[in-house]
Amino acid sequence: MKKATGLFILTGLLVMGCGNRASAPGVSEDKILIGNVQDLSGPMKELGAVLPAGSNLYFRYVNENGGVHGRQIEMKVEDHQYNPQKAVAAAKKLIEKDQVFCLYQVIGTSPCEAIRPILAESGTPLVAPATQSGSMSDMSREAAGLIFHTDTGYDKQTRILVDNILADDVNAKIGLIYQDDDYGENVLKGAAVAESSTGAAIQKEAYQRGATDFAGQVANLMKGGATHVIIAGVVKEPIIVMKTAAAMGYAPKFYGTSPTMDHRVSLAAGPAGEGFTSANFASLWNSDAEAAVLYRELCTKYEVPEAYMGMYHFYGFITAQVLVEGLERAGQYPTRERLVNGLETLNNWDGGAFPPITYSQTDHAGTESVILVEVKDGVQTVITDWID
Amino acid sequence: MKGRYEDENLTWIPLLIVGIFLLPFMLKGITYSYKYYLFVLNMVGIYIILTVGLDLLSGYTGLISLGHSAFLAIGAYTSAILVDQVGIPFILSLVISPLIVGIFGFLIGFPALRITGMYLGLTTMGFGFIVKRLIIALRVWTKGAGGLEVSPPVIFGFTFNSDWDNYFLIFTCAIIAVVVGRRIGKSKIGRALMAIRDSEQAAEATGVHLAKYKMLAFFISGLFAGFAGALFAHTNHFISTDHFDIILSIYFIIMILVGGVSSIYGAVLGTLFIVLLDYLFVPELKDLIHGVFNIEGGDIQSLLFGLIMFLFIIFQPTGLYGMWIKMKIYWKLFPFNPKKRLI
Repeated sequence: MKKATGLFILTGLLVMGCGNRASAPGVSEDKILIGNVQDLSGPMKELGAVLPAGSNLYFRYVNENGGVHGRQIEMKVEDHQYNPQKAVAAAKKLIEKDQVFCLYQVIGTSPCEAIRPILAESGTPLVAPATQSGSMSDMSREAAGLIFHTDTGYDKQTRILVDNILADDVNAKIGLIYQDDDYGENVLKGAAVAESSTGAAIQKEAYQRGATDFAGQVANLMKGGATHVIIAGVVKEPIIVMKTAAAMGYAPKFYGTSPTMDHRVSLAAGPAGEGFTSANFASLWNSDAEAAVLYRELCTKYEVPEAYMGMYHFYGFITAQVLVEGLERAGQYPTRERLVNGLETLNNWDGGAFPPITYSQTDHAGTESVILVEVKDGVQTVITDWID
Repeated sequence: MKGRYEDENLTWIPLLIVGIFLLPFMLKGITYSYKYYLFVLNMVGIYIILTVGLDLLSGYTGLISLGHSAFLAIGAYTSAILVDQVGIPFILSLVISPLIVGIFGFLIGFPALRITGMYLGLTTMGFGFIVKRLIIALRVWTKGAGGLEVSPPVIFGFTFNSDWDNYFLIFTCAIIAVVVGRRIGKSKIGRALMAIRDSEQAAEATGVHLAKYKMLAFFISGLFAGFAGALFAHTNHFISTDHFDIILSIYFIIMILVGGVSSIYGAVLGTLFIVLLDYLFVPELKDLIHGVFNIEGGDIQSLLFGLIMFLFIIFQPTGLYGMWIKMKIYWKLFPFNPKKRLI
């Protein structure tokens, strides 16, 4: 009888043990395979090369320090050329063929939106999509429970910028230059919220992705008498807009959403970019923030080319920190479900770059605040604390 | 009097159709990543429907269109709006959406009455830009550039929810499209279209009404594109302006050129070849390509497509289908074939 009871307990323990060791795709004894879909050869290929390099910098550091629960992190990157259909094919390949554990840092709003059905079908989490579109943290959407956004949305950023402008100058006439795509769509959403909450009327001027001539938009803003102009572009757009305005003798105060925060903007815009203020959802890569210090140390240690170092490389680095934290919390025997549960335990988690991140079953927004960074004497200077 | 297909051996057609419907089962049996391959094949099926229509316009009639991604977009958005916002059944939308796109095609056909060649290509390309701006402007229905979520196809209560289900729906439609395309090609309309392509003056002299048939070619091509668009929207579940880039129209032209213009089977072969190259082989070879040339897979893809088009136009203007026909003749005459190169 004792033997039978012992055998029964042993079998029970084994079953429980096996249950706990439920294997997941992409997870082996010594490795976790992560999938990443970037724009390596499309209109945003400059970022496509830099973002995964920043992530790999942190993964290398983690791997050299024993990995996550003894497993090395390996990242497989596919190219979507900023084409949602290609993004779907790439995500399918990573999930079905390469059997990755989760997706991470997929770039672009429409590519991320396009892969929602695949995430839902396969139950694959997407951590830190590389887009600041607020739609990523809309919990009413398909697969929302599997997407963990890290960045403050463009809509919130726009609202914060409008509030800040009006706090400085109640009579400000605000203009907005936005990219006429999914990015701009989210910016417009934020502008509409700001208009209804403040009563301000924002003059909106659209441009097409890839445009290099902004004379028409600047002339319209000048004609409309905008005293403060928000540029919702990436890197080249704010440079050209500010230089065009300077050439036309028009000098409003310029603001920008987070993608314009790149240090190359102030370098290339020169005197025309003096005073340019942008919103950012993380500390600067060259600041004294804990993650920034580690980042620079690792860049030196691993001899990262100087051309790579900057906002976007650092962005790859700090989002990798969030993913690694999630993997740690998923436990010794990670499954996709445990990764989701692990990330949802983040409560005011401070990785040293983002404002404290909190996720829950009903909120996957991550951060809700930004800092404002102003170009003073050609140098990017943080002028506010975290504001929301 | 000879029947329409009397001089053709059609015995392999039923076998091919059976093979098409057995393919998913075979894939499931040999690879765990069959869903990925089915997704790529589904894309082949949708694009086949479109390129069959494009071949009737550009191959049979000789009217170049660089606006077919816009036709696809109109079909996709129309069906998404009709089904999800107006509430009509998907199966009805499969009829209405192509008709609407056909009407757009008919309207775009007007310039074709006066211009041809490069100028017509540019006009249709301009139409593509207009459609993209219109989709953004009509954001009340289209959700602007942010993209539109689309419901899955539902036919008689059955929901096509996966790539597996979609495969059978898409390839049934693709087979219908190929059959219809071939019937049009072999009909009085098809002969009139080819007569226009070969010589407008001669066609007119033999009683072909140029304006009528040119507009009809655009209308028919629009029908096929609209049909493909409706399937595209509902089987992808999400559409945005980024899906219908102008480069896609150029790819469609490459597909029919590589397959062989004025041949419906050519359009099928060309589509299969280009989509498999684009979605399966280039991504598979990208690491190798990157290692050897230090360029990204996507960059070499454009280079590869340009090179393929260039080589086909110079060395194999009749395309893959023409190559197949020549091979068939070679083996038929073997060993008495004349001393000529095979292809």
